[in-house]
Amino acid sequence: MSARDTIALGREIPTRKVILHDVAHMPSDYSSTPGGTIFSTTPGGTRIVYDRAFLLQCRNSPLTKSPPLNMAKIPGVTTPAEPEKPKSNGKKPAAQKTGENPGDEPQFEMDI
Amino acid sequence: MNNKFDVLKGEDSGDEESVEMDVQTTPAPHPGPGEHPIQFNYSLWFSKRTPGKQTTRYDQTLKFVGSFSSVEQFWSYYTHLSRPSELSGHSDYHIFKEGIRPMWEDDANKAGGKWIIRLKKGIASRCWENLVLAMLGEQFMVGGEVCGAVISIRYQEDILSLWNKTANDHVTTSRIRDTLKRILNLPPNTIMEYKCHTDSLKDRSSYRNTDVFMR
Repeated sequence: MSARDTIALGREIPTRKVILHDVAHMPSDYSSTPGGTIFSTTPGGTRIVYDRAFLLQCRNSPLTKSPPLNMAKIPGVTTPAEPEKPKSNGKKPAAQKTGENPGDEPQFEMDI
Repeated sequence: MNNKFDVLKGEDSGDEESVEMDVQTTPAPHPGPGEHPIQFNYSLWFSKRTPGKQTTRYDQTLKFVGSFSSVEQFWSYYTHLSRPSELSGHSDYHIFKEGIRPMWEDDANKAGGKWIIRLKKGIASRCWENLVLAMLGEQFMVGGEVCGAVISIRYQEDILSLWNKTANDHVTTSRIRDTLKRILNLPPNTIMEYKCHTDSLKDRSSYRNTDVFMR
């Protein structure tokens, strides 16, 4: 048995009860429970655990819409496509063909 | 509340580099207001073999993209990068804990190894995303053992790997294997391979001469 196994030996998981008197005291996101996250205690100690669905939900946050300022520029990997040139007035742009969109997310959004 | 997490974040960045680092890196910013901190800070790297020049050293092909400390910071990198399946040629993305270079020789890796899963063409982007989300969300439950994840785009296949710190810790490696099967939803007969970095250093190869496991 390695040293690691002995560390992992059983220990009671501490629990505590938190009583709320007002809905306003509920945590702001559903990955948390009043008084701490659902997974607040694991055998290795307190760890921040997120499941896939929660992480995917965070993708929609406005904080993710522009690339980080200090992101390295690597052509073909990080360089965004050329921004679309403004179209002249009067002409209706050709109807967008369905199925032409390469991805389910816009690649880049300009912050003006 | 964040302080206790900051303390934990230190547990993997302890030893300072003994090998000198050619690549400039920038530290991850602290999680901003409204952001969800992750257990460990990570860095994102990209590498691509130069066509023709097989003699280029691996560490010279390695490019640092950025570091992040929150779920939102991760997405702001990820959504502004090409998907793995859109990369051309012999390319890799690496996401490693901040301070660990995606190299066999790094202090955190030298006693370690990696699980390898070979993917048929067309599913790399989805599998990579699932692997990365599981790693950032601490789904592996192996303490500080995970070092990082790699997606390697090759001509005939794409290869997913997960690196851990201690290759001869079989409790850890089998827990990682089982978690990989679950989060990637691998069919029961999937062949999984493990390779110690010391063996990779000997044969100078990442994906040949592996130990094959089949359930």
